[in-house]
Amino acid sequence: MNYKTIMCDVLVVGAGGAGCRAAIEAASHNLDVIMLSKELLGKAHTAMAEGGYNVSLGNVDPDDNPETHFKDTIVGGNYLNNQKLAEILVRDASERVFDLEEYGAVFDRTPEGKIAQRPFGKQSWRRTAYASDRTGSEIMVTLTEAIRKTSVRVFDEVFATKILVEEGRVAGVTAIDLKYGDYLVFRAKSVVMATGGAGRIYEVTSNAQLDVGDGYGMAYEAGCELIDMEMIQFHPTGQCAPPSAKGRLVTEAVRGEGGILLNNKGERFMKNYYPEVMELAGRDQVARSIMTEVVEGRGSPDGGVYLSIAHLPKSIVEFRLESMIEQFEDAGVDIREEPMQVSPTCHHFMGGIKIDEESGTNIPGLYASGECTGGVHGGNRLGGNALADTQVYGALSGESAANFAKENTHTGINQDVIVKEFEKLEAMLERKEGISPADARDELTKLMWEKVQIFRKEEDMQYAVKELRRIEKDVVPNIKVDVRVKRFNPGWHQAMEFEHMVMTARMVAEAAVIRKGSRGAHYRVDADPNDKGYYNIVIRKGEDGKMELRKEDLVITKIIPP
Amino acid sequence: MTKTIKTKVLRYNPDSDNEPYFQDFDVEYEPGMTVLDALLFIQDKFDSSLAFRWECRGGQCGSCAVKVNTIARIACRTKVEPDEELVLEPLEKMPVIKDLVVDMAQTTFRLRRIRPYVARDKKPERPEIIHAEEIEKVREIRKCIECSACLSNCPIVHETWDYPGPMIIRQLARLELDPRDVEDRVAMAMNESIYSCTTCKMCEDICPKKIKIPALAVELLRAKAVEAGYPLAEGQQGFVDQINKTGRAVPEKNPPLLKAIETEEFFVDNPNGRVAFFTGCLIDYRMQNTGKALIDVLNRNNIDVVVPKEQWCCASPAFRTGDLNTAHAAARRVTEIFEEACKKYDCDTVVVACAGCGKTLREDHRPFIEEERGEPPLYKVYDMAEYMIHVIGKENIVPPKGEIKMKVTYHEPCHLGRGQHVFDEPIEVLKLIPGVEYIEDPYKNRCCGAGGGVRAGQRELSQKIATTRKEYIEATGADMVTTECPFCTIQLNDMMKESSTGMKVRYIPDLLAESYRKGDA
Ligand SMILES: Cc1cc2nc3c(=O)[nH]c(=O)nc-3n(C[C@H](O)[C@H](O)[C@H](O)COP(=O)(O)OP(=O)(O)OC[C@H]3O[C@@H](n4cnc5c(N)ncnc54)[C@H](O)[C@@H]3O)c2cc1C
Ligand code: SF4
Ligand code: SF4
Ligand code: FES
Repeated sequence: MNYKTIMCDVLVVGAGGAGCRAAIEAASHNLDVIMLSKELLGKAHTAMAEGGYNVSLGNVDPDDNPETHFKDTIVGGNYLNNQKLAEILVRDASERVFDLEEYGAVFDRTPEGKIAQRPFGKQSWRRTAYASDRTGSEIMVTLTEAIRKTSVRVFDEVFATKILVEEGRVAGVTAIDLKYGDYLVFRAKSVVMATGGAGRIYEVTSNAQLDVGDGYGMAYEAGCELIDMEMIQFHPTGQCAPPSAKGRLVTEAVRGEGGILLNNKGERFMKNYYPEVMELAGRDQVARSIMTEVVEGRGSPDGGVYLSIAHLPKSIVEFRLESMIEQFEDAGVDIREEPMQVSPTCHHFMGGIKIDEESGTNIPGLYASGECTGGVHGGNRLGGNALADTQVYGALSGESAANFAKENTHTGINQDVIVKEFEKLEAMLERKEGISPADARDELTKLMWEKVQIFRKEEDMQYAVKELRRIEKDVVPNIKVDVRVKRFNPGWHQAMEFEHMVMTARMVAEAAVIRKGSRGAHYRVDADPNDKGYYNIVIRKGEDGKMELRKEDLVITKIIPP
Repeated sequence: MTKTIKTKVLRYNPDSDNEPYFQDFDVEYEPGMTVLDALLFIQDKFDSSLAFRWECRGGQCGSCAVKVNTIARIACRTKVEPDEELVLEPLEKMPVIKDLVVDMAQTTFRLRRIRPYVARDKKPERPEIIHAEEIEKVREIRKCIECSACLSNCPIVHETWDYPGPMIIRQLARLELDPRDVEDRVAMAMNESIYSCTTCKMCEDICPKKIKIPALAVELLRAKAVEAGYPLAEGQQGFVDQINKTGRAVPEKNPPLLKAIETEEFFVDNPNGRVAFFTGCLIDYRMQNTGKALIDVLNRNNIDVVVPKEQWCCASPAFRTGDLNTAHAAARRVTEIFEEACKKYDCDTVVVACAGCGKTLREDHRPFIEEERGEPPLYKVYDMAEYMIHVIGKENIVPPKGEIKMKVTYHEPCHLGRGQHVFDEPIEVLKLIPGVEYIEDPYKNRCCGAGGGVRAGQRELSQKIATTRKEYIEATGADMVTTECPFCTIQLNDMMKESSTGMKVRYIPDLLAESYRKGDA
């Protein structure tokens, strides 16, 4: 088995908001830094974020401060957040947004020339910094510019498949070069995981292609602890058609501006669920109402409900929902005249790799930041807190990894482990009989969408767990790539991702089964009223190779749950 | 029955294939389908190894640009036409890794070379005060998602990597416009061949973010270069000096049209309309017959034509090359002349038969005058074909009767199509002529290399672009190529002189007038 080994001090896996920020920070310590990503530099999922970045600068509402930001975050997170981590988030958000400006970011301004801030859901003040409705893109573009200034070595279109652990600490990763199919080993003194979320384990998602949960799967296999994996945010309004646009976000502003939701009978059904607030009920509440309509047969032809703003004056729609007009124009729908079809879409993973106040995991030398981590957002994430998270924890993880690298040398390597990993990948190509990744993926994403979804119930989730264990045992080892070519072969890439998707899905399902009550984004139709849910679920791979789940006490510093 | 779209995809695996080849797939059509949908369909149903890039599927990441029926666009926001064949190829100028995935190394290298980040000489204050006005323009130009589609379509990059292409020139302008950046971006732009762009607007046209690169980046940097004292190329300076001296960009040779005509008034008995004719330099000084043909054609269609005897250059060469003093003076003067003429003769319409002048009057004079005095010029500007089809009305045009039996193709001037959004009108006019068999050129809107001061400043490059264009025109098999711009006509004529096909180059008004005259006999 041929492979090439590439050495560095700090390895960052992921080049989204968190990964880029970590790499920049680590490189500033005069270390040799490598950053890996599955897509070309600058194309990461972070570029898709629209709304903004939460930071209590008080530029618009002077009474805002980190304390209030903290409180909103904890209340929004249903008190499940690790409060130590949330404190860091609100403390550092402002310095990190200034860093972005120093790198060249162009945020929208107040009349005094300071960063402008807009209101966002469930927050006490206007706190969200923005650049029009393309804030994520602005941040991604800025970080890309900044990376091009540093000495960071960018290995884009390189797929990490496994975290290597030797001598009780991290040793690097195995990877494949997606362009040419070469096997690579990256050896580093410390590693930062910044691999983003896993919306793509669901059939319908607002996430980019890359968000399949590689980071969760790899971290689990390496022995990391993961937390809150059952907490998944579904956004109520995702686009229904055409196929490639399915799940694309339809911004909350549509309802904010007066959009109404209708079922296939033309009935404004929200009156049956939340008559006082109607369409402006909470994200999870609206999502559940829509799903009830669909499940009970009152849905639209493409499997959603209708969201209409056709009753509003055209001028208002054109002025305030410009990008939505564009998005639906592409789908052949003129939203000024016709209703959109929308249905909930898998949006954000609150849970993930468990980190401490240094952004460290339970494996020495291994750090993590961004959406692949858990704990910061608890049971639900406030809009705008994820971008802040990528910068605050991105920088922190980069710094911690740099410090670790300065104090440690490279570990040794175990060639057997490496060769075994590459043989596994090679076997996917060699196999004559087996299951195609596309079919396997369809089965998995459907299963998750139907059984571990917005409404959860014991038997569904038990079924999902059983199925996922079966898939892990029977399907994963039998994945077969149709065309035996290593050079840029998407079929092979999907095959490699599949194992990580299954691991991630299993963690979500197994944790969801254990949580018997409803809390945060986890909503059970058969909720046990005695389970108030004030605990976190922590997952790790046990000595025997079996998945271990345990409940842990909340980390509380200031706010006691009611 | 589901409709299927025939989709040809250029496949290539350099490890095993001698050369790229097309593979056909039948893709099931769905309303609203994008090119990305079609590619995903093929990947899912027929071949999971088909290589292409994508991430966000919503025009936010810039991963998915491919050539769609000859023009590079982002796949996720390009619709599939239900009744057309779909031909998908990788971007140009970048080596293929596999199928539609290309190696971006050159682009990355070129980007890095310009130090593509805000360079600072000291740490900023926190918070840093920046006013909205200071970043207004930066915001526009910053929407770029680095999809590289514009690079693939740029006729200059097609000929030479000496020019880094629109995306990168845009990044230079973004930094030049940023008040925080301390580097000399103008010097850098000069070093990156900023004067190679023909301002053909192809980049702007296909940009998913509709960034006006020619105006906001190229012309802006050129204007800054002129301001900083960089000299124009000799040929370009010649034009500008001539304009300042005489109001014409070229020296007089044969008696100019405006001197030869005896009157300003070409009136008909029962007019259906009245227009003022802006001749532009080349029709006045070099193509007098075309000018007369235009008057004749309009008169035959019962339109009064006013030809002010004192006219001035629109100063397109100055606008394009960055000499804004000359440009603005000319804009004021032209506006004054035509407002006066319109007032005197009680009309509100100016007709132009030169693509470059029309674009300049509409896209450059208009906003400048409006900004300067709070009110745009008081007249409307029409291209001649546009005027005929839309104002006279296609059904009212007096049909030309003289037969011209020829296979005729059309070269769309950049500044007519993308510059003035006049796309089909000239072709409709052509088709009115009996005997003309119109042949569509799939590359009809490709730049001929004459514009933007490139013919004047960089003859060799200009000829290379023209040669590429010539080959496409010849491939149509037509006997004649027609167009509606004097610069394109001169450029194409130069090229066709060396062509073995003996292809003729004609100005549309000339051809039309010829048919009318033949019909009289
Ligand atoms: C439509 C949408 C809108 C949003 N809007 C907002 C908003 O307005 N405000 C807000 O705060 N949040 C928003 N979010 C959430 C926010 O965008 C994300 O949480 C955040 O961008 C995640 O950043 P990240 O750096 O952690 O990961 P990502 O940006 O997802 O990047 C992950 C990186 O890891 C790499 N990677 C993954 N696996 C591997 C592997 N195996 N090998 C190598 N590399 C790998 C990827 O290639 C990628 O570079 C939005 C999310 C969506 C979907
Ligand atoms: S205007 Fe034309 S020549 Fe100039 S950069 Fe754009 S595509 Fe290239
Ligand atoms: S300028 Fe437009 S076309 Fe060119 S790379 Fe940027 S987004 Fe793409
Ligand atoms: S997939 Fe992101 S721009 Fe097309």
